[in-house]
Amino acid sequence: MTGGEFQESGKAFGGSRGTRTRANLPGRFRTGIRIGRIALTAYVLLMLALLALPIVLVVVASFQGGMEVASRPDGWSLSAYEAIPTNYWDALWFTIRSAFWATICALVLAVPAAWGLVRGNLRERRFVSALVLLPDAVPSITLGIALLALFVPLGLSNSFAGITVALTVISLAMALRFTEALMGGVPEELEQAAVTMGASRVTALTTVVLPLLAPGLAIAALFVFVHNLVTFELLLFIAGPRATPISVQLFSDIVDRGVLPQAIAMSAILVYVGIAFHTLVAMTVGARYLAGSAMARKG
Amino acid sequence: MADEPGKVETVDGKAIAGYARRFSMTAASPERLAQPSADRGWRDRLFYRAFTFPALLVVAGTAVLPLALLLFWSLVDQRSGEATLRYYAQSLASPYFLRILLTTILMAAGVTVVSVMLALPMAYVLARHTLLRSILVPMISIPRMLPFVVVGYAMVLLLAPYTGVMNKALIAAGILSEPVFILFGWPGQAIAFGYAGVVIAIAILTGVFMTVDPQLEDAAVTLGAGRLEAALTVSMPLAAPGIVAAAALIFSTVVTSYAIPVMLNSRTPYMVSVLIYNNLYSLQERHLAYAQAIIVTALAIGVTTAAQIFLSRFGSRR
Repeated sequence: MTGGEFQESGKAFGGSRGTRTRANLPGRFRTGIRIGRIALTAYVLLMLALLALPIVLVVVASFQGGMEVASRPDGWSLSAYEAIPTNYWDALWFTIRSAFWATICALVLAVPAAWGLVRGNLRERRFVSALVLLPDAVPSITLGIALLALFVPLGLSNSFAGITVALTVISLAMALRFTEALMGGVPEELEQAAVTMGASRVTALTTVVLPLLAPGLAIAALFVFVHNLVTFELLLFIAGPRATPISVQLFSDIVDRGVLPQAIAMSAILVYVGIAFHTLVAMTVGARYLAGSAMARKG
Repeated sequence: MADEPGKVETVDGKAIAGYARRFSMTAASPERLAQPSADRGWRDRLFYRAFTFPALLVVAGTAVLPLALLLFWSLVDQRSGEATLRYYAQSLASPYFLRILLTTILMAAGVTVVSVMLALPMAYVLARHTLLRSILVPMISIPRMLPFVVVGYAMVLLLAPYTGVMNKALIAAGILSEPVFILFGWPGQAIAFGYAGVVIAIAILTGVFMTVDPQLEDAAVTLGAGRLEAALTVSMPLAAPGIVAAAALIFSTVVTSYAIPVMLNSRTPYMVSVLIYNNLYSLQERHLAYAQAIIVTALAIGVTTAAQIFLSRFGSRR
């Protein structure tokens, strides 16, 4: 069907005169629909396979204990997992700790800020939001270099505090987006009711608004935490021998020593973390929260 | 009409809205507390503003200050400490840097176009089928929660010349007689970037298409448009802002990406982030690296801003 015909039917709509409905389509169009549907199904399946394949390969290789995916699986074993050295576990534990503290700091900063911005209806609300989202807009590599330039004189590079601060600033952007949206969903009348009965506005915030926000905040914390676990490019510059997140550890190993079985096993563990996270989110809030740009963040 | 709100309520949509507004006003007027937020005095605003200060302070200290320092140092000579534009001039006049920048831009642009094209139909299908979406979106989003590093490992397992699954399968099937060396060159990097790009694009575009009302398309179909035509001429223009935003995000991610170029042989193609890293660490040309980082940042943010400006023009003219 050509564009001209479409415009014609558009005109028909203006004159409230229907030209052709789906029931009296000529046969070739219905065949076209069927072919289109088959092509679409094939495309969806192919895309799924292509997207899943690399991840599946990592998991399969981790159970074969080699440096490649063997064509004949003659030995399924956990040897690669057993071979994970202590410095990998240390790096993972380091990442979990700093990701946890960064998440807490970001939420503690973001909740009051979102409350002030939304309830105060401040004139500078857009400016403040844009400023807090700045770390998200600037490429990670630039922010990483900038933080390195600041942290070296302060002695914060190559330290737990430095990594946590870097994660906090990037988490804050995400946490504020979440909390602003959550805060907008809580009716102001509830707070006003508490205030008319003699509560101060801060009491209203802590006793009325926070309990209502709690489930949403838990989800937000989960998102921020998992994003912190996998942040790489921002941390590459400020990481060092005394402060190595797991992603940086895996990166320097593949660059220096090539693909190692224990590194594949650790990658597989990160895949499991990702799967666990998605299962949890899909079960608690539903899959639609995974779509959309609110959760997008650069790796 | 105004005397009997009970009657007006049933007439039509507009009257109901008017009724609701009058009702809420009469309910609110005795209660001074319910005044609109815009009327708050300066003391009130200061109270609310105080709650945003901690967050602002942290952002100022850990994002604005470092970036300002980066800009400042890129304008200062590393040895003598004098103000200079030398690092920018040196970068922008050197054919070497410009060639690397061009390679990077071409790679990023190609990856962006291809991954958006591949992701569009998938996102459309996911947005229209609720059941499919609730099953597939968590599966597809798993790679988003992995470090780029893990994607790099996966690509090595898939594409490596002798040990990679793809080469072994193609040789076993008799299609290839000897392994192809695509991993450690631009095709390998393009595939790795494309993988990451498709994952980002599907997630964002699914959200975008979900905001487009499917009934608009149904209307076009009842008026005689084909399904495909309705999708292309009705939903696609409505989703255009989201598509451009996703493309800008992918572009700026690829332009500044460091992990994949280095993991998959950092030499060909030589991406600009690798050059910056080498200037910073191997060559100890810190201020030159700062200047180049600023140039790349300006490029990435410029593309995003240009996309937004283009969209607002394009949107208002329609």
